[in-house]
Amino acid sequence: MRQIAYLVREAVTNIRINRTTTLIAVATTAFTLACFGVFLLLYLNLKGMARSLQDDIKAIVYLNDGLTAQGVSDLQSRIKADQEVASLSYVSKEQALADFRTQFPSESHLLQGLGENPLPASFVVTLSPKFRSSEAVRRWAERLRAVPGVAHVQYSREWIENLATVLGYIELAAVAVGTILSVASVTIIASTIRLTLYARRDEIEIMRLIGATGSFIKIPYLLEGAALGALGGALALMLLKSGFEFFKLQLGAPGRFLGIESGFGFFPARISLLMVLAGLLLGSAGSFVSLIEFKGAKP
Amino acid sequence: MIQLFHVSKYYDRRPALSNINLQIEKGEFVLLVGPSGAGKTTLLKLLFCAEHPDDGQILVQNRNVARLRPSDVPYLRRTMGIVFQDFRLLPKKNVFENVALPLMVQGASAFETRRKVTEALKAVGIEHRKESRPALLSAGEQQRVCIARAIVNGPIILLADEPTGNMDPDLAGEIMELFKMIHARGTTVMVATHNRQVVEQVGRRVVMLNEGKLVSDKGAGQ
Ligand SMILES: Nc1ncnc2c1ncn2[C@@H]1O[C@H](COP(=O)(O)OP(=O)(O)OP(=O)(O)O)[C@@H](O)[C@H]1O
Ligand SMILES: [Mg+2]
Repeated sequence: MRQIAYLVREAVTNIRINRTTTLIAVATTAFTLACFGVFLLLYLNLKGMARSLQDDIKAIVYLNDGLTAQGVSDLQSRIKADQEVASLSYVSKEQALADFRTQFPSESHLLQGLGENPLPASFVVTLSPKFRSSEAVRRWAERLRAVPGVAHVQYSREWIENLATVLGYIELAAVAVGTILSVASVTIIASTIRLTLYARRDEIEIMRLIGATGSFIKIPYLLEGAALGALGGALALMLLKSGFEFFKLQLGAPGRFLGIESGFGFFPARISLLMVLAGLLLGSAGSFVSLIEFKGAKP
Repeated sequence: MIQLFHVSKYYDRRPALSNINLQIEKGEFVLLVGPSGAGKTTLLKLLFCAEHPDDGQILVQNRNVARLRPSDVPYLRRTMGIVFQDFRLLPKKNVFENVALPLMVQGASAFETRRKVTEALKAVGIEHRKESRPALLSAGEQQRVCIARAIVNGPIILLADEPTGNMDPDLAGEIMELFKMIHARGTTVMVATHNRQVVEQVGRRVVMLNEGKLVSDKGAGQ
């Protein structure tokens, strides 16, 4: 117990000896983790977004004009029988017109002069999760297009695929940036610890001479590095959180962000904790590196 | 207890010790004398593994110190009390903490530490300065703190390098009496000194070095 108290006190002393370099090390770690955190935040949010969008990938099957009610009903059963289809709903010509008017009130004059309702009736089809790969959807749409009464099948897969690609890039960038910056912050923490080791080399030698073991001597420095790292992690989290709130404020009213602000959130507690832990690990790694090089700690 | 066989130590190819043969039995009190630069400090350093011999074998408590694993060195040192010629006190800790350090690194309890440290400080007559930082003490006082630290843990071997170098004859006499007392408890004591008065007062085995060579060994076995 007393030993532990002593080791912690030593670590605190170390931090006080090099206040400026300590600050720099904490700031670097914070910056590193914050940069990484930005990517992670972006990634997690886009991923959540992609998932919620995929949940309602819809295809719209436009019908030829002049189908009888019986024809529509037959077609509905026909489409519903497809295994790719999870559910579908019918939108009549009148419904389509009404929808258009409510969604685009200012453009409703466009339809004025046409006299007759130009909008086609349609089925809005929710695809079954198993068939959401773009290839399956394409084949299904192809087949459907040949069915009499179907004018056109519209589905939007490109941008969902694009989103997947973007997610891949972000993932790659996060790993690259994370690696480079991690190396940087390990290096900076290592040189901070190296300074403390250098400042206290006489004391370290004395400790050696009176029978302190290697680990007893090293623990304060490892604690120091871990504390700096964890502090950096916490600081990064604070930076990210305030940046995030600011960003959210800039976006304005909730719901503006692609209409799915519910899925747009900060890290859950678990990942926040992991962030601090990552800092702690980076810091310990820094200490470790400097202790390996340090010759004075050998008997 | 301590055995050296054909031990040589070179600094930059210059021999600090050459071909030393020396046997010290358990419970002996040995004075190591010789002019400045004779190699006294070097010899002591070899015994607590602060330096390694370039040649020969050294056994301390039947262990070959040259072959000791680095992780075993601290445990060897815990059985020894060492009074350094240059004191080696921690400047940022007070006298009490400095003397407590050997107990601290071994994880002694607070109660035991207080008892032993107080006892050691009393023995060297420096208890009244226990709150002071070493830098505020005179050289003689610092030396006594260093001695207190060396004896606080009841060592099996006490190695003292010029322990009375900064003391007046009376105090030096007291310190040597203290060493005699520790010796009487069964501790093997080795003191490097060029203080003639000390040599006369102790009147035990005297090993003399000159230019790294063992030139005489008087009074062995007394
Ligand atoms: N670290 C070192 N590097 C180079 N030479 C050294 C080193 N330590 C000691 N020496 C040399 O080794 C020789 C013996 O030194 P040592 O310190 O053992 O002498 P000493 O007998 O203790 O002298 P003193 O009575 O002045 O303390 C000296 O010539 C010294 O210059
Ligand atoms: Mg000397």
